[in-house]
Amino acid sequence: MNQDWPMTELDPVRRMRVLAAATPGVAYAEKLIPAPFSAVWDAASDLEHQLPRMITDLRSFEITSTRAERMTARARGRLGQRASFDVVLRPGWCVMQSRFLIGGMAAAPEGDSTRFAFLGGLRLPGIRLLDPMLRAAAQPLALRPITRLEHRLQAR
Amino acid sequence: MAPMTGPPAIDPALVRAAQHGDQIAMADLMDALAPYVGRVCGPIALQDGPDAAQEALITILKNLGGLREPGAIYGWARAIAVREAVRVARKAARAVPAELADVPAPGDPQLAADVRDVLARLTPEHRAVLVLRDLEGLDEQAAGALLAVPAATVRSRLFRARRSFRKAWSG
Repeated sequence: MNQDWPMTELDPVRRMRVLAAATPGVAYAEKLIPAPFSAVWDAASDLEHQLPRMITDLRSFEITSTRAERMTARARGRLGQRASFDVVLRPGWCVMQSRFLIGGMAAAPEGDSTRFAFLGGLRLPGIRLLDPMLRAAAQPLALRPITRLEHRLQAR
Repeated sequence: MAPMTGPPAIDPALVRAAQHGDQIAMADLMDALAPYVGRVCGPIALQDGPDAAQEALITILKNLGGLREPGAIYGWARAIAVREAVRVARKAARAVPAELADVPAPGDPQLAADVRDVLARLTPEHRAVLVLRDLEGLDEQAAGALLAVPAATVRSRLFRARRSFRKAWSG
């Protein structure tokens, strides 16, 4: 009867909540977008085009290698700064990491809509100490990329 | 109810990378642990299983630095998952006394629904004992240590929980 025990599965948005709660110094937000999952994820997962639209400090995001769901990418900022990212991308889930930055997106269907989560932050020593202050201050910053994605979807 | 086969092994290097703040390793580790944590939290927290598994994984990842031996990660995660599942289920206050008035009829084709129904009639603590003994294969001493109760208490909880199952299925 083992297979009859009730099991619990966590959708990608719940997993992103876990990652956000367990990572010090990150901004995290989620929002219900009134569009089907496939439309939302098709747009969001087009990292090269969509990330610079969602994150205005980012000038370009170029995928440099792909191996199944693992990728590497080169990001360039508005001020000329550069960073190499490791990326994991699969349906409903994306995590990115450079030496100093972390980022993530997740999506899960909720009725006819899609719950979308965005995470961003700095990887710095000692950031844990500032975590309570940063988390509250940075939440609106994490909401902005989601709003930009939503506007983009509405414009289509 | 024989214990399930063990979960797949986790590379100690992955645990260490996550302990050192590698975000992608943390995400990979969460992916590896999530099915196991869900298997423990589901039967204890029932409809609150996703909340319990989410809270358990947060506690696991937040406290990962305290895990000295990466090879012990499943036992360590199990203890956290059981405690979080009991806590979340108690907080939801859906626990009902372990009396079986309206058990499903024996031979009901929807056996999975029966299991859920019988579990729902137990307290979270009784469900935790059942999971640890019958799903995870722990002995009474180990289950008692994990739940911070004497082995005798585990024995009596297990007796009541199993009697509930027997009543439900033997008619």
